[in-house]
Amino acid sequence: MTREVIDETGRHVALPLEVRRIVTLAPNLTEIIYALGAQNRLVGVSNYSDYPPDAKSKPRIGMPMNPNLEAIVAARPDIVLVAAVNRYETADELARLGIAVYGTDPHTVEGTLASIEHIGDAIGASTQAESVVANLRQRLGALKSKLAGVPPARVLFVVWQDPLTSLGAHTFIADALRFADARSVVEAKQDWPQISLEEVVRLNPDYLVFASGHFGDANSRAQRLAELRSEAGWRELDAVREGHVAVISDEVDLPAPGLIDAIEQLARQLHPNAFAQTPQPRASARQSPAFAAGHLHRTLSRNSFVEATACAR
Amino acid sequence: MRPLTPRRIAGICLALGAVLFVVVVFSLQVGAYPIAVSDVALTLVRGAIGHWNSIPPSDRLIVFGLRLPRIALGILVGAALSVSGASFQALLRNPLADPYVLGVSSGAALGAILALAWLPHTAWAMQGLAFLGALATIAAVYFLGRRKGQLDSTTLLLAGIITASFLSAIIMFLMTTVSGRDLRGMAFWLMGDLATPPAISLGFLFVILLIAIGAIYTTSSDLNLILTGEQEAHHLGVNIPRVKLVVYVSASLLTGLAVSVSGAIGYVGLLIPHVMRMLFGSDYRVLIPASAIGGAIAVALADTLARTIVAPTELPVGAMTAAIGAPVFIYLLRRRFA
Amino acid sequence: MSTPGMAASDAGHDMAAGWMQNPVRLLVEQASYAYSASDRDAPDFTLGPVTFSARQREIVGIVGPNASGKSTLLRLLSGEIKGLSGRVELDGTPPGQLPLRERAQRIALVHQESTLLFPLRVWEYVLQGRYPYGRRLRFESPADCLLAENALAQVGAKALLDRRMNQLSGGEGQRVILARALAQQPLLLLLDEPTRSLDIGGKVELMRRLRRLAEENRYTVVVVTHELNLAAEFFDSIVLLQRGKCLASGKPADVYRRELLEQAFETALDVETNASGRPRVTLRGGADAQATETNPDAPKESGSR
Repeated sequence: MTREVIDETGRHVALPLEVRRIVTLAPNLTEIIYALGAQNRLVGVSNYSDYPPDAKSKPRIGMPMNPNLEAIVAARPDIVLVAAVNRYETADELARLGIAVYGTDPHTVEGTLASIEHIGDAIGASTQAESVVANLRQRLGALKSKLAGVPPARVLFVVWQDPLTSLGAHTFIADALRFADARSVVEAKQDWPQISLEEVVRLNPDYLVFASGHFGDANSRAQRLAELRSEAGWRELDAVREGHVAVISDEVDLPAPGLIDAIEQLARQLHPNAFAQTPQPRASARQSPAFAAGHLHRTLSRNSFVEATACAR
Repeated sequence: MRPLTPRRIAGICLALGAVLFVVVVFSLQVGAYPIAVSDVALTLVRGAIGHWNSIPPSDRLIVFGLRLPRIALGILVGAALSVSGASFQALLRNPLADPYVLGVSSGAALGAILALAWLPHTAWAMQGLAFLGALATIAAVYFLGRRKGQLDSTTLLLAGIITASFLSAIIMFLMTTVSGRDLRGMAFWLMGDLATPPAISLGFLFVILLIAIGAIYTTSSDLNLILTGEQEAHHLGVNIPRVKLVVYVSASLLTGLAVSVSGAIGYVGLLIPHVMRMLFGSDYRVLIPASAIGGAIAVALADTLARTIVAPTELPVGAMTAAIGAPVFIYLLRRRFA
Repeated sequence: MSTPGMAASDAGHDMAAGWMQNPVRLLVEQASYAYSASDRDAPDFTLGPVTFSARQREIVGIVGPNASGKSTLLRLLSGEIKGLSGRVELDGTPPGQLPLRERAQRIALVHQESTLLFPLRVWEYVLQGRYPYGRRLRFESPADCLLAENALAQVGAKALLDRRMNQLSGGEGQRVILARALAQQPLLLLLDEPTRSLDIGGKVELMRRLRRLAEENRYTVVVVTHELNLAAEFFDSIVLLQRGKCLASGKPADVYRRELLEQAFETALDVETNASGRPRVTLRGGADAQATETNPDAPKESGSR
């Protein structure tokens, strides 16, 4: 017996009435499953699924971009969740083999919350999904009220330092920034515009924001600031001279509950005065390895494509 | 003096075929989901006689849905690339020639990236446009590579290299303007990837493979003579323009075929012919079939290693052929292709 | 005949002629050729008209200064290029009109050196001479192997059978190339400056071998060469070219006349006669002689030695 749903990419998916075995092909999906409390139904996760720590013990089925189809088939899943990082070919192959593939593709923070609800519906965890999303919404609402009336910070989000790359207005992160009452000083049509340091000087942002997989290290911000102060060009920026450098978790680019954590971290660092009374939440000692940062970098690594083309004669 | 006989060729093919068989059996049983050899045999037999329902579903899916098609694709691509490489080495009289030296793979890459840009989620688009790109390049290089009306080896080589460079420039331009998300598939294409099944039936592709290899095989005596010098071959009665045309078109077609379905897998087309020469001599009447089977063995084996060595992570097969191929190349270089 | 299968009997020519008669095999009559780099009216180079003929067992030498059209004439004979006027006939058929394989069964062009890409064994290389016979994709028969071995024996290279081509010395390589041409069982054997890189011993050995082969296998041989004296000694007739024009053709004694040679080579030369009765060309006046007026480029020497 099956029911048919339409996933976020418009694909028609036939799901069994009871979803007992779940496979996720991206770390953010793993995180969502754990947030929904359905981890005991998780029979396969992608590489890099390291948060929460319990996910490390789940059977791996390969890299998100190139998963091991056999391992997925061998896990006999009722549903395979895929995200934007996965290739269409993978989803097509699995569908061809008769496996239910549910695609998620949120582009905004709101979209992430909606995704969590959709996933909850798909795997039969709607109630948990509702409460998770409600909680996240409440936190965002609290953030909004704390920051009401505070002028938005003008930030330069540094995706990659060399070549200096920032982000366009329609990216996921740009949306996340808005919730932290921040605006990117860069206006570009492309998703990952390369800009020059001169341009940065001209734009003169209030804050520089970096995303780091080692967020959680107490010294990461201090270290970053010290590095910038020693580099020519960067050290002349107002933001660097005044120490206005923010480092947040790389989950800011991941459609998962941790996104809200990242937004809160950003808000605290950009608008410290608004949070003077509220104590800092314990820094989650998460050491998410290079995945999210790598995810960004892979999206951008044009250079590697260029090199690969030159070799592919 | 031991002249080449059809019997000797058959013997060599049989021996290589046996090795291929072992590789296939090995590949069918290893993987993230190991299946014992006996179970594999049982599954194959049941499948062959049509008793699908008696095969456990996971086995059926894995053996027939995943492994067998992938191994078959590897055999197809390996044979195509090796024969193409051997042919170009004779046509261009250059031991460093490989299937991609005449720009076919660049044309296919351009087709692939255009497919990603214009028809992002269409199933057949990447392979179809890649093949069209290959065909267009074959035609362009043919017209550029002529001198006094017939194909000239040096001119052809130059035309191919220039075309490949030009196409690479266009590809680089497109890479910077097309959105990053859509290009992810390109990285795999460029590295060589056997995981995506071909858009057309494998059987049909094998027929084309056999026709193209057959066409080249009919010129193998001619190629032997051409390798001692074009003038000399002409005076021995070889119809040089005709041979060149047949070999050029067939070998380019083989490259285009392979590259469209699997991306650009490197080193196979360059090295397998040389290894086969070291084993069996330079006579193209034995080199063509030996290269075909040898290439099949190489790619099937490389792909199996690529998907099992660091399981569950799957390496691209092109990475494996490069990792094994580069040291082999250095070794051959030191022995100067003797 | 001591060697089976050799000579023209396979080709079926001359069977009726028998060994008593010796009709003309190669006929060149007023043959001419013009070459122009572009389609303009004035051709860059004209050859001819050239007239000469040769029978079985005869060797013709084509001599002349550089760029006199010797190689072009050879290419006319091989059928590689088509003449502008006149006729070239091999046993009555113009070579250019023969299909490629048949042409290769009758005419063998011996090249100077082989540039092999992959190392072949000597027997493989010589066996390739059998290509014109049989189907396109063919496998060599025992008869073919025998013929190849005989060809090698005839050039004194049978011991080289299993060696690799790239391991041979210059002289050995040339003999093997010649053997491949012999394996073609041709009627006409063409050679373009075959003695160029040989020492005097090698040159004489080659001439003797050509003579012997022409006799035994009843070839008609045409050799382009710079060796005036060896040609006079060993060949039956000479064709003297200069800037595309045929100055003379015929027996060596008739062609090697002082005026003709000096005109052709623009050098002061003398012609003497050997003990064998053949002409011999020497420098007139020795090394100290001044250049003749016919050489406009000679430096004017001030004062005499």
